[in-house]
Amino acid sequence: MKLDDHLELEKRIELLLADPAYQGHPLHEALSEIWELFRAKLARVERITKLSDAYQLMAQKGTVSMSERFEKEIRQLERIVRISDRYQEMMQEINAALVKAATHDPLTGLANRTLIIKRLVQETSRASRSGHPFVLAMLDVDYFKQFNDRHGHEVGDRILLSIAQAMRSSVREYDLCGRWGGDEFLMLFPETRLPEANSVMERLRHKVQDMELIVGSDALSISVSIGMTEYLPEESFSDTINRADLALLEAKRNGRNCCFSA
Amino acid sequence: MDDLNIPASVSTPAIQSNWQAGTLAMQGDSYPENSYELFSPVFEWLQAFLAQESKPLSMELQLVYLNTSSIKFMMDIFDLLEDAHRKGASVAVNWRYDRQNERIAELAEEFKEDCTFPFNIIAKN
Repeated sequence: MKLDDHLELEKRIELLLADPAYQGHPLHEALSEIWELFRAKLARVERITKLSDAYQLMAQKGTVSMSERFEKEIRQLERIVRISDRYQEMMQEINAALVKAATHDPLTGLANRTLIIKRLVQETSRASRSGHPFVLAMLDVDYFKQFNDRHGHEVGDRILLSIAQAMRSSVREYDLCGRWGGDEFLMLFPETRLPEANSVMERLRHKVQDMELIVGSDALSISVSIGMTEYLPEESFSDTINRADLALLEAKRNGRNCCFSA
Repeated sequence: MDDLNIPASVSTPAIQSNWQAGTLAMQGDSYPENSYELFSPVFEWLQAFLAQESKPLSMELQLVYLNTSSIKFMMDIFDLLEDAHRKGASVAVNWRYDRQNERIAELAEEFKEDCTFPFNIIAKN
């Protein structure tokens, strides 16, 4: 039955019920009762439909606000992760800077005693395993104290810096240049024999000798004395250092600006 | 509400509040074992102040390192300020950082991103 027919029927029934000609007829009474019942049922169905629609709407709204909150939480989490990662990066950079500060000489940027000893321990055990020795060279600036006294510490620092620069430019990537203390430097050549190291050190010695350090109207010529030695199997690295030191002393005794091996 | 005056520790920042002046200040690193314990009083103080006072509130920050849970709490704090700001309260954040450490400024910028209230990132020497 179509909606129009429905409305038509309802209108017809209402007209019939209102017609005084049918009042008192037993069918009028029955129709009137069934009509009331129908109206009541219809009202109930309408109410249920309305309620059900309202619930549906509410649930829908709830889902929307839930997903909004969820989205917001996700956004916040993403930001926390991003910021947290950046803090981690910052800490790593600070850590790296601290490690560098703890293992390098602040003036020359060369390895400090801590790092030199660490490398010596590694190289000693590597040399023992492989049977390939390393060469250790000690360098000392000739007459450094006089330069310092005569021209001041600033000039002393410049001398140390230029020697560090010359050292760095003379070695391979896996060799180590360090400042042992004061005006004493140390160089470590892994997997190297004396003759090879000797030619590197001779080149370095010439490089330093040819350097001119301009101070005011003076051009200072500087030189270094060098003592070196090869690591001997089974010995401790302090034995190696002591031997290099003795060779250095020998170089000093023999007029400085020279290379001695022991 | 009592003012806060929490001294710094190795892993927690120093925190001072001044109800009278309308300021809350934090300085230092924050990676506490229990960040809830550290930040709850701060959060409560801010909530109480914003609920009861109509005078301006400023947060004076000199924070350096924050761990993840501290980041979360700082965001919640800024959300609280943002809500107050949208309701008409006068709130501001002044985040000072060491000029030597530009990274802190970048991180403060990240925090600032969603804030519409005055959020100043100031270099100090």
